[in-house]
Amino acid sequence: MATDTGGRFDETGGDVSGATGLRADLGLGDTRRLRRGAGGVVGFVVVWQLVSLTTSPIVLPSPAAVAEAFAAELASGTMTAALFSSVRHWIPGTVVGTGLGVGAGVAFGWSRVLDDVTAPLVRALRPVPPLALIGFAIAWFGLNHAGAAFIIAVGAFWINFYAAYGAVEGVSEDLLDVGRTLGVRGDLDMIRSVVLPASLPGITTGIRTGLGRCWMLVVAAEIFGVPGIGREILRASNNLLVDTSIAYILVLSLMYLVVDVAFRAAQRRVLAWQA
Amino acid sequence: MAGVNGGAADEGVAVDRVGKTYGGTDSGETAVRALDDVSFAVDRGEFVCLVGPSGCGKTTLFRIIAGLIEATDGTVRLGGTPVTGPTTDMGVVFQEYHLFPWLTVEENVGFGLDRTDRPEADRAARVTAMLELVGLSEFRDAYPKSLSGGMKQRVAIARALAVDPALLLMDEPFGAVDAQTREMLQRELLDVWRSTGKTVLFVTHDVAEAVTLADRIVVMAADPGRVREVVDVDVDRPRERDDPAFGEHVARVRDLIGAGE
Repeated sequence: MATDTGGRFDETGGDVSGATGLRADLGLGDTRRLRRGAGGVVGFVVVWQLVSLTTSPIVLPSPAAVAEAFAAELASGTMTAALFSSVRHWIPGTVVGTGLGVGAGVAFGWSRVLDDVTAPLVRALRPVPPLALIGFAIAWFGLNHAGAAFIIAVGAFWINFYAAYGAVEGVSEDLLDVGRTLGVRGDLDMIRSVVLPASLPGITTGIRTGLGRCWMLVVAAEIFGVPGIGREILRASNNLLVDTSIAYILVLSLMYLVVDVAFRAAQRRVLAWQA
Repeated sequence: MAGVNGGAADEGVAVDRVGKTYGGTDSGETAVRALDDVSFAVDRGEFVCLVGPSGCGKTTLFRIIAGLIEATDGTVRLGGTPVTGPTTDMGVVFQEYHLFPWLTVEENVGFGLDRTDRPEADRAARVTAMLELVGLSEFRDAYPKSLSGGMKQRVAIARALAVDPALLLMDEPFGAVDAQTREMLQRELLDVWRSTGKTVLFVTHDVAEAVTLADRIVVMAADPGRVREVVDVDVDRPRERDDPAFGEHVARVRDLIGAGE
């Protein structure tokens, strides 16, 4: 095939490097932002300390007291055991809820028929808070990891269902047309080749939101007696051990932070084409 | 150049008494006749432009020819075979590029090839050849986001040509780029046309663009969309805009378009 022009390289392109290091992936690229964030944390602790001096430790323990409680719980092994216990229902609940939510969201967002058939059911089930299903969790699974995982999965399901549903609905009709003209045939091929990659930003945002929400649901799911971080928070509160209670809340925050940062790094990798 | 995929010997595209009505009795709205009795043909290897005032149904006709929507009446044939849906015998290029943003330039160009049973080595060679054809070899690993409008449209053209279609069907492909890039892309498209021998059907509202590119110009009129006249462009190539014959053709087509309004 002959090419006979010389003038085809005239136009210069934009930046095509697109390289992102691990620091950028983890959101550590912007040092000014990090410094400000650190300042915010320090300021918060200072204010906390000052306020705690004016009240009884039962109302608000000092940061130092919380740190002590944290260390004590860690040393006794209670904290580690609670964390592992929570993780044992957080992981299956999140994985199952996310998987089913994304799957159903993509399927119902794509198929008009499925959407029409399920719309009334979805509207009826949507407002039911996961906690309202505790009775079912106990009846179906028992007071165990599976029961707690069920509550967590319900929460993860809806967040991911709506995120995936919206993302698929938002896929440009034009991209689907291009796919058709390039030989994409049938729903499965279209979903795999065009719909899923095009809706990946929306789907992963849903997953990320869901990961955070699932840590919140860990506390709720443990109310009825399954051991874990949430159980420890409640037990400490009931015994007026406010410092211990806050120490376990911190564990929850830290777990959320770790998972969120890791997921965001993975998300940036997968969605490098957006940057 | 290998590759017109079957079909009658000299027939490129035949648009035969095509009509399109939107709405109507079922929906209770007033029916709108977007296209009425549109007939014309594009010979194999010919470059034909479709021009007309806004609302003349150019885009509707483009979508019917591409097999993306159904005509109410009439048929479109490609190489003698009626078009009943999208087909890889047509390379379709849209105004807004519509590259797949999650794929690199190379992957975009190879998208259609992935759906054929070509061997991998053949596929890779084809992608490389297409990128060379549009001058984007060094951008093969770039994502569309980092490309300019002109470069994106080159990728879209390479993607459409990769599966070696019998027809290159383009809907105002240079409508979204600046004037300078547009002229460059027009020259490049003519080069691609000459080197590949493809049949090209090119929709535009820009009369000068049509006169620059086409062997023949199908001039449409609006309300309902129909063919007003088919104009042969008897201007030597390469065409210069200061050639008197060029100006005469532009004036003639403008008159034809204006006559309908």
